[in-house]
Amino acid sequence: MAAPGAPRLELRDVTHVFRAPVPGVPDTLALEGVSLVLYDREIVSLVGPSGCGKTTILNLIGGFVKASTGHVLMSGREVERAGPDRLVVFQSPAVFPWLNVWDNVTFGAKHRGVHGREYEERARAALTSARLTGFEKHYPYQLSGGMRQRVQIARCLMLDPEVMLLDEPFGALDAQTRLDMQEWLLDVHVAYHPTILSITHDVDEALFLSERVYVMTPRPGRIQAEFVVPFGRPRTIDLLGSVDFVRLKAEILRLLHRADRDGRPA
Amino acid sequence: MLLLGWVVGSQLGWIDPFVLPTPGQLGASLWKFVTQGYENHSFLAHVLASLFRTSTGFAIGVLAGVPVGLLMGYFPSVNAVLSPLFAFIRPIPVIAFIPLVILYFGIGEFSKILLISVTAFWYIVLNTANGVRSVPALFVQAAENLGLSRGQLFRHVMLPASMPFIMVGLKTAAALSWAVVVAAELIAAQRGLGHVIMDAGTFFNIPMVYIGIGLIGIIGLGLERALTYMETRLLHWQGK
Repeated sequence: MAAPGAPRLELRDVTHVFRAPVPGVPDTLALEGVSLVLYDREIVSLVGPSGCGKTTILNLIGGFVKASTGHVLMSGREVERAGPDRLVVFQSPAVFPWLNVWDNVTFGAKHRGVHGREYEERARAALTSARLTGFEKHYPYQLSGGMRQRVQIARCLMLDPEVMLLDEPFGALDAQTRLDMQEWLLDVHVAYHPTILSITHDVDEALFLSERVYVMTPRPGRIQAEFVVPFGRPRTIDLLGSVDFVRLKAEILRLLHRADRDGRPA
Repeated sequence: MLLLGWVVGSQLGWIDPFVLPTPGQLGASLWKFVTQGYENHSFLAHVLASLFRTSTGFAIGVLAGVPVGLLMGYFPSVNAVLSPLFAFIRPIPVIAFIPLVILYFGIGEFSKILLISVTAFWYIVLNTANGVRSVPALFVQAAENLGLSRGQLFRHVMLPASMPFIMVGLKTAAALSWAVVVAAELIAAQRGLGHVIMDAGTFFNIPMVYIGIGLIGIIGLGLERALTYMETRLLHWQGK
């Protein structure tokens, strides 16, 4: 169900090498010939074993790192630097500990010159969506891990993101909280309809959220397969137990497992 | 124990009251100082003179030190230029500069405040720069991602994130500024607790020397307490 039209986000034959800081230490080939594409309003997941370069891909799209070769394109234009058209939801909650919830959520909007009444309304809506109403004056140290991640996501929603990049933000949460967050993310997608690239090693999460799933190899990271997830929306957690879901999951796990075994030096 | 030894020793005449004044002498001198002042200036005038020099010097040191520290912490090139210079000057006791300061700037208030602000400056710079270096890369990435400009990054991320370190600098600098006031008041001061101590010493007024020292200690303790209170109020977000 890929939407028609020009891609919102595209990696074209991207290879990335981390140069060693001193001579005598080998360079690291992190990504090799990675191409992928996201269409408007899609949710796409990237799964792969840890160390396969998933986070490097995200840093390239985020504009924090420049690719050695190849192209990283946002709405057809080369990505040069970080910017709020590609909002990152970081793995560990990047909320500012010296600001309370309200100031954290409005941080980006305030400093981008969005004005008074407008952002107040948007902030209330984002906080309501994140179930943080009543916690506006609380500080991050007073919140649970799940709530901190909701603050981070609410801060993104304030800026009406075109693209959201999820760097395993639910990885450190307990299973129940993680499911809550995944369901909430689907609600967010309906309400704010961003294009989402989610990076994860949780195959359940990838299948539950996404329209498509890219499967990566271990280092150097390559795309080894692409799956179209055939389940319609809205999705509920009942989907996780369905036969089709489990079959697809097993297939992806088998790929990951085989790549892991074959990729390992003898 | 020391206190008891002092009281008993004085009473029994074991201690020469000229070398170590008795509690009675001290009490009388303190009372006289508080009610009649010392050398044409009231008690309050002496205390306020010292406090004024310290706070002005300290404030200048902070206002100059925080921006320089932020730049040194953020730009390795600035650090490479300034840090060897600062490392060379910092260990030199400020007293060593007194003759030069008198030669260049005379014996007015400016010279005293200059010595204090320079002392404060070193410690603020050092701690602020360390604070900036300790800011997690994640905060910088998040701020850039949200579209903050370089200036906004300094003002709204680097500065608050470095505050715990800057606070350590403030406390050290405040204590040293207060200590240096005595040295600064060696420069022909007419008022101030440092001046009282020097002057009383010249005339062998030993009780006044002890009172001056005691007051400096007590006020120093008060300053430290005030800053600690400020720290707990401002930096509660550390969640300690």
